[in-house]
Amino acid sequence: MTDLIGTVVDRVTFDVERGKIREFARATLAEDPVHTDRELAVQCGFSDVLATGTHVVVGGHYRDQRGFVDKLGLELSRVVVGSASWHYRRALVAGDRLAGIRRVVADETRDGRKGGSLRLVTLETEFTDSRGEVAVTQREVLIERGRG
Amino acid sequence: MRAPVTAAAGDRPAPRRVGPLTQTDIVRFAGAGGDFNPLHHDPRFATSAGFAKPIAMGQLTAGLLAAWLTDWCGVENLRHYEVRFTAPLSIGDTVKLSGEVTAVESTDGGLAVATMRLTATRDGTTLVSGQALVVVAGKSEPESP
Repeated sequence: MTDLIGTVVDRVTFDVERGKIREFARATLAEDPVHTDRELAVQCGFSDVLATGTHVVVGGHYRDQRGFVDKLGLELSRVVVGSASWHYRRALVAGDRLAGIRRVVADETRDGRKGGSLRLVTLETEFTDSRGEVAVTQREVLIERGRG
Repeated sequence: MRAPVTAAAGDRPAPRRVGPLTQTDIVRFAGAGGDFNPLHHDPRFATSAGFAKPIAMGQLTAGLLAAWLTDWCGVENLRHYEVRFTAPLSIGDTVKLSGEVTAVESTDGGLAVATMRLTATRDGTTLVSGQALVVVAGKSEPESP
């Protein structure tokens, strides 16, 4: 099943917002005040508060979860995320505007340990800032368990 | 700019324990991140998917581990972060976040890049294993003035 490679799964555009940074920092128990105290962030030399490391996950608010799973021909109840990675050119700061295009970069089927097959779909999203430079690249590997 | 943390191979930042995890913690993360897969909040759906109760998003555990790491090193120094999800985090679980500097390589300009091995565990079971590359100040022999 290589015909999906290169397929654009979805596109999102969103602002990196101070309030959302605070929500995400609280939900992940980040304690560094650089995420919540604007004055301190400015004293440290940043233009505003910094987003946490996995902040681009908030792109989920702009995505159609069932829609993309259907588009990939996956069944939501059998899909789990196997792994994820982020590669950073710079930290994200409140005020950034990001555009993310998510593409299929690999699609393979393997034998599961307990019999049956597993389908592994690797998605890559490049998050580009308003200057057109990639700030963060995210990869996720979705695993669909075989029908039991 | 803040000065990067000083690090050498073998260093282990103080671990963090989080929990016991509640449904509210999962809902809070759903609201923050936008993952409304019913597996994480609908007990009936979770049962139909083969779980005894709703489980946390892998991204919640990944976010907890990343936040623990960057509270130590500063998020502006994070260059790469990757995680592999090996077991789900469930309501009632307490998770231990920890890691170790496995190597430090000098770069131009007096800074260095540390390779970190990271884990989120529950009673010794690995839930998430990960790796990160972080800009640090390398520990060096004191220079003579």
